[in-house]
Amino acid sequence: MIAVVPALAALRRRPGRTFLTSLGTALGIATIVALLAVGQGAQDAGNQFFHLGASDLGLFQKDAADPTTSILPESLLTTLRQTPGIAAATPLILLVGDIKPEPGAIVFGADPGGFLLHRLVFTSGRMFGQGEQAVVGDQLAAQMHLRVGGTLTVARRRLLVTGIFHIGVAFQDGGAFVPLALAQQISGRQSEATTIAVKLGVGTRPAAATRFLTRRFPGITVIGEGQEAPRAGANAQLLSKTSFVIAVLALLIGGIGVMNTMLMSVVERRAEFALLSAVGWSAVQIVQRVIVEGVLTTLLGAMVGLLFGVIGAQLLVRALGAQAFVSPHVTAWALGRALLIGVLIGVVGALYPAWRAARVSPARVLAQR
Amino acid sequence: MAGARVSVEHLTRAFGQATVIDDVSFTVEPGETVGLTGASGSGKTTLLQLIGSLDQPTHGTIKVDDFDVTHLRHPARFRLETVGFVFQLHHLLPELNAQQNVELPLLAARLSRRERARRSQEVLGEVGLGDRLKAQPADLSGGERQRVAIARALAGRPKLILADEPTGALDSRSSEHVWTLLAGVVAEHGTTMIVASHDPALADRTNRTLNLVDGRLVANGERLDVREAVQ
Repeated sequence: MIAVVPALAALRRRPGRTFLTSLGTALGIATIVALLAVGQGAQDAGNQFFHLGASDLGLFQKDAADPTTSILPESLLTTLRQTPGIAAATPLILLVGDIKPEPGAIVFGADPGGFLLHRLVFTSGRMFGQGEQAVVGDQLAAQMHLRVGGTLTVARRRLLVTGIFHIGVAFQDGGAFVPLALAQQISGRQSEATTIAVKLGVGTRPAAATRFLTRRFPGITVIGEGQEAPRAGANAQLLSKTSFVIAVLALLIGGIGVMNTMLMSVVERRAEFALLSAVGWSAVQIVQRVIVEGVLTTLLGAMVGLLFGVIGAQLLVRALGAQAFVSPHVTAWALGRALLIGVLIGVVGALYPAWRAARVSPARVLAQR
Repeated sequence: MAGARVSVEHLTRAFGQATVIDDVSFTVEPGETVGLTGASGSGKTTLLQLIGSLDQPTHGTIKVDDFDVTHLRHPARFRLETVGFVFQLHHLLPELNAQQNVELPLLAARLSRRERARRSQEVLGEVGLGDRLKAQPADLSGGERQRVAIARALAGRPKLILADEPTGALDSRSSEHVWTLLAGVVAEHGTTMIVASHDPALADRTNRTLNLVDGRLVANGERLDVREAVQ
């Protein structure tokens, strides 16, 4: 590239300005990386959340503000179980914030005979029976120092711990299962469920089943894959859209910052661009030169921003108190996207200044000196 | 490489109501060194800029080697391939060292890194700065900076050098050095040079001089006329 060496030299010439411009870009990129990482983490968590046990589909109330606020009638089960292609359906009640020492832990009310609990692997004890009993995930048990025979307090009810399990899903290993009837009592939702987990029959395609169920039950949302998880709650959609808006704002601020700095730089260096034109640099070459400067500045910022973003994602999750649910997931694709965005900011931000630089009249500028 | 032939015919440059160059015609033969004299504001700089395609005339034509350069679509290419500019101020980029400054036109020509280094070292050697390749402009004297600027003008081996007050910002000793240098380079390569200067000794340094008064060419060729105009 023709303009890299002089562009680097120009950036070194004003280290303070280069640093501040890069910092502005870095903050924008850091915001993007943090949001992408938290979003990916939330999506991973949602993926686990909506794929409880061996379920293929999760049914939620349509337009619920949050998956945990979804309410479905238990009577729906009868119809579902008679629907061709559905092998099993089991209700689930979600209790959030009812374990005081661990407010992030979720208590699942489930039917002991339902297919969801078949995958629990007990490291000690056994499945709960009916009544005031619970089985606890090994992660929660470790945090609360619980053992079989001990008690777990859920919404002021002291439940006997009959077993400690491990299933490999963070939400469940960090939570507990109780009988469905007990959860319905605690939540005051008699004959209701938060969600219904559905297992499809062999040969039934999830997409086709989703279409069928959506048509058959207009008031429900069917979640088939983790990527569709945000559809289950208006809050998740709001969060997703807010993240997008913040990312766009960060991009705009970064782009305007680069443009402003590059414009100042071009105005200050009119004599330099006039000279380049006089010694034979074409307008295209001068444009390249300015854009390379912009891209180098933003790349520098982007690299710092990646680091800030990874750290910022952890801080953001902690600030939101969501570390129990969400582990920020920084993917290579997210970092690559952020770098690409950094380059785009540099190019877009430098376009107008580059155009101005290419239009500098050497006759006027050099004659003035 | 032989110098360029420059033919200027009925050249006029007006800025609004002000006519800076008024119906000027002359020819410079290949290898010739022509001085351009005249008071400040007489149009010397504008005339050089027009010949070098830094500006465009209102009327008239300029031909370089019979090629009309008056309204070029890509004037930068013409400058790159044919013209070397030397200005009163050196206009060196402060963040680049001497060699990197000389390489600027070679970068535009997209020469390889090795070829750029070879050419820049060669011309810096010609102007007596072969041992100051990596020196920053701030570390060079005024005369040395102007020599680097001359090396930059020579780097592309131009057929035409346009020098606008090349010694205007130098002391007498440095001026003498620069004049000697320019004369030597022009003689060695057969380059055509048009040089604008207030230097009273200009006539002694050129083949002939052109005198501009208020944008008009009032004397063409005779030393005596030019000396009278300067005095």
